[in-house]
Amino acid sequence: MKKLIAVLLVITMMACLFAGCQKNEPAAAEKSDGVTIAMLPKFKGENYFDACKVGAEAAAEALGVTLLYDGPSQDQATNQMQVDILEGWINQGVDAIVVSPNDGTAIAATLKKAAEKGIKVLTFDADAQEDARSYYCQSVAADGAAKGLLDAAKQDLLAKGYGPDKTANIALVGSSGTDANQNAWIEAIKGYLTTDDYSWMVIANESTDIIHPGTDETKVNEACATLIGRMGGGADQIQAAIALSSMSTPALGAQYEAAASKPDASVITMTGLATPNAIKDYIKDETNPLNTGVLWSCFDLGYMSVAVANQMVTGELAEGASSVTYTQEGKELTKEINEQGYCCLGAALVFDATNVDNYNY
Amino acid sequence: MKKFKFSFNLVLLLIWAAIFVAIAAMAPTFLKPDYIINTMLRNIVEIGMVALPMTLIIITGGMDLSVGSMMILCAVFGGSAAAAWGTGAGVAVTILVGLACGLINGLIIAKAKISEMVTTLATMYLFMGLSRGYTEAGSVYAYNFASWMGNTEVLGLPIQIWIYAVLAVVFVLLLHHTAFGRKLFAIGLNSSAAKYSGVNVEKIKITLYVLCGLICALASFIYLGRFSSVKYDSGTNFNLKVITVVVLGGTSIVGGSGDMKGTLVATLIIATLNSGLTVLNIPIATQTVVQGTVLLIALVAFAIMNQAKSRRRGAPKSAEPKSVS
Amino acid sequence: MKHDRKKNLTTEFYLLVFLAVVLVFLGVFAKGFYSINNIMSILNVYSYVLISAIGMNMIILTGNIDVSTGALISVVCLVIAAIGKLGATFPVLLITAMVVGMLLSAFNAFFITKLKIPAIVATLATTQIFQGSLTLAVEGSIYDLPATYTWLAFKAKVFGIIPFSFVMCVIITVIALLFMKYSRFSKKIYAVGNSTESARLTGINVNRTVFLTYVIAGALFGVSGVIVGTAGQRVTTTMGSGLEMTFIAAVVLGGTSTAGGSGRILGTVIGALILASISSAITYLGISTNWADFIKGAIILISVLVSALRTVKRKRSIPGKAGVQAS
Repeated sequence: MKKLIAVLLVITMMACLFAGCQKNEPAAAEKSDGVTIAMLPKFKGENYFDACKVGAEAAAEALGVTLLYDGPSQDQATNQMQVDILEGWINQGVDAIVVSPNDGTAIAATLKKAAEKGIKVLTFDADAQEDARSYYCQSVAADGAAKGLLDAAKQDLLAKGYGPDKTANIALVGSSGTDANQNAWIEAIKGYLTTDDYSWMVIANESTDIIHPGTDETKVNEACATLIGRMGGGADQIQAAIALSSMSTPALGAQYEAAASKPDASVITMTGLATPNAIKDYIKDETNPLNTGVLWSCFDLGYMSVAVANQMVTGELAEGASSVTYTQEGKELTKEINEQGYCCLGAALVFDATNVDNYNY
Repeated sequence: MKKFKFSFNLVLLLIWAAIFVAIAAMAPTFLKPDYIINTMLRNIVEIGMVALPMTLIIITGGMDLSVGSMMILCAVFGGSAAAAWGTGAGVAVTILVGLACGLINGLIIAKAKISEMVTTLATMYLFMGLSRGYTEAGSVYAYNFASWMGNTEVLGLPIQIWIYAVLAVVFVLLLHHTAFGRKLFAIGLNSSAAKYSGVNVEKIKITLYVLCGLICALASFIYLGRFSSVKYDSGTNFNLKVITVVVLGGTSIVGGSGDMKGTLVATLIIATLNSGLTVLNIPIATQTVVQGTVLLIALVAFAIMNQAKSRRRGAPKSAEPKSVS
Repeated sequence: MKHDRKKNLTTEFYLLVFLAVVLVFLGVFAKGFYSINNIMSILNVYSYVLISAIGMNMIILTGNIDVSTGALISVVCLVIAAIGKLGATFPVLLITAMVVGMLLSAFNAFFITKLKIPAIVATLATTQIFQGSLTLAVEGSIYDLPATYTWLAFKAKVFGIIPFSFVMCVIITVIALLFMKYSRFSKKIYAVGNSTESARLTGINVNRTVFLTYVIAGALFGVSGVIVGTAGQRVTTTMGSGLEMTFIAAVVLGGTSTAGGSGRILGTVIGALILASISSAITYLGISTNWADFIKGAIILISVLVSALRTVKRKRSIPGKAGVQAS
């Protein structure tokens, strides 16, 4: 009896399956008159990508497209999770994918698969392999970000008595170690350090002074606490900490506050990428050596990414264009696109105690 | 007993059917063959594969928490070897690493008599830490053999599904139709009794863990190929996913009872759930909570069934919560 | 029992020797390791590891386990962040955290005691439920938390230098040591861990004991959650993920048998200190933190191997006196 039920069930299911297959093709075609754009951040939540998401949602609403937004949770910000999400989208047939890869090389194969199925592929925030996407919606050029960060640290160090006669040890705090944008910044920073202007700023030991604590908040906090313990004025200590992720910059500020005997703020400095709100308190606090932050408008980045993606789907923007024009909040904006396909949002924004209150994100 | 097992698998199958039909009704895309094959089935293969030896291990009352780390270590060393000395070396190193890891687990558990949980907890850190230290937290990329294992279609189906199918048949036969399989149940029910009745418990345990290492090595090819890269932390929670599948399939965590076919159906249930939630555009994080709930419901159902059964037989509590040691 | 205690004393003794050797080694080779700042930040990590490990130790002593602790702490962190955002002060946060911890742990215990589901699978399932429901409730994180929220990490320093978290940890440890030594309840915990059946026969309500143990441990997890959660102005949904393994490792390293019934708090106290200082120690030795997990695994493995080999030796020298040992 039970066997009979089981057999019947399997048959019913098979029938459903085939019926579904046949009916499904027109259904899928019907669905495609609305444009669906899927956006995949490195991870979900946290000020930075939340702000991007708000921008993307605003663009989607203005353009009348459907936006799917999903990403790994912070401690699982890995290529594997991103691929899992992407495969779901690819096989259900979205129109465009906008992704900020955790590992630009590794994700390339999946992105190419998407492109083969006619899905438009863009990257934003961090790039993938160049041949795996059409355009890269870049926040600021890697060179600019690196210089912005280094200059912020340099000025503070100069003010604190370091310079060509007195070298300063610097440490970099990244996150996962495979983010294409962070690695590009690290390379650019290392490049600058070899030039005369910055030669007195030194990374003493790359294996302990370029730190990749991962993306887990608690681990980032611990790594930053250890780093702050190593900071101070001595030659074997660290004088400047530069954080490359919007997670580690506030962690540096917070762990300085939490430190039991704080290293003397008059001999060290800290800076990094972060949304203004996340580090406002530390910047305004004069006893905290976190004095400057570097960023760009995440809202605009999200907006631009979705706008560009939509233009690709509708055919307004072809492959290999040299500029893109879109409307944001009534204003018409034109962005250059270089030969590598970088569509750059603009220059880096450096904020300090004087202007941090002007931003609210 | 026989009858109970059969009906249990039927219940599982019914659960699967219900989930399948419900999701299909809500999202027609789900029924696209492309989706079923390339998302639902293809994405579960690694978990499904490792669940096979894990079922054997759990039946003997053991446990292997290090499977995720082991798989990643295989991929990391294999990928690095392939980059340095070519594909052949990559394949050889992957397999050797898998066997070595399994052997380490097996020897410590069987010879030093340290509990399975403690041993594999420690080796989980050890293997993961080795991948992390060796790669300096960077990625290792796929080489041609791994890519081939992860992305080739044979007779219309991805090759890994064929591999999984073959392995599944082998393991069903191994557990239910060989003397070896019967010995596993004997060890799980009472290890000392099995020993005194002439079963070489130590040797069997070592064999099982080595086998598990080998399957992890095999899965690592597919994993590396499918994602085209791995990082040291890619295997986090993999162990929990595998154990979820095995337990959902009706294998008792205290050992002594279990069914390979149950594991197969459970694999299918988890695959359907995961891909179904994706197709419904429910955030990927929700998968965890649904998976947890399904597991909990299944556990409660077993518990109630077991209690009813033991009451019927008048036997004293057979499902006593005992530590897994 | 007497024999048992003797054996455990030596486990702790060996651990202490190991710890001393490591500390001296660090003093010689890791320049700056003994700076006040570094010691205090290690003590802060140590506090939350030890407080939870004590709870975990009690659970493991009953022969059960809890792998949901990390997810539970994540839930605690998010709940206190939510009320912290509204301006709740430290005492409110602490009490809320303990209550949430107790409730969630009771939820675990319900499945384990009433429904007789083995602890490891029950907590495996609840891990996924805790972790998953968080991501449903909050997208990613709660941020821009006020100064009242971060008071514990930023401002609460005894004599202006010792983190208050460490003071809480010391108080809890002392209470736990006394409790496990003198209370009648602790005897029940050991009895249940040694053999559920004989505990039942001597009139101990096994379910009640296990349930209460989980609830007490839950309160301790809650306290840990406050320390972890208030470390900065942002709380993510994954603050605690993976921590359970560190706690279990501290307990195991401290010589507690995962089979239950044997092991003491003192071992855990030392085990937790070793685990809490690994990351920092190797950075000061000039080694990348990437090797931290490997070293952690190696230390656990070597320590259990050493203690297993000693038992094997003793078994040989005293035939017929096997002792209660994990198998």
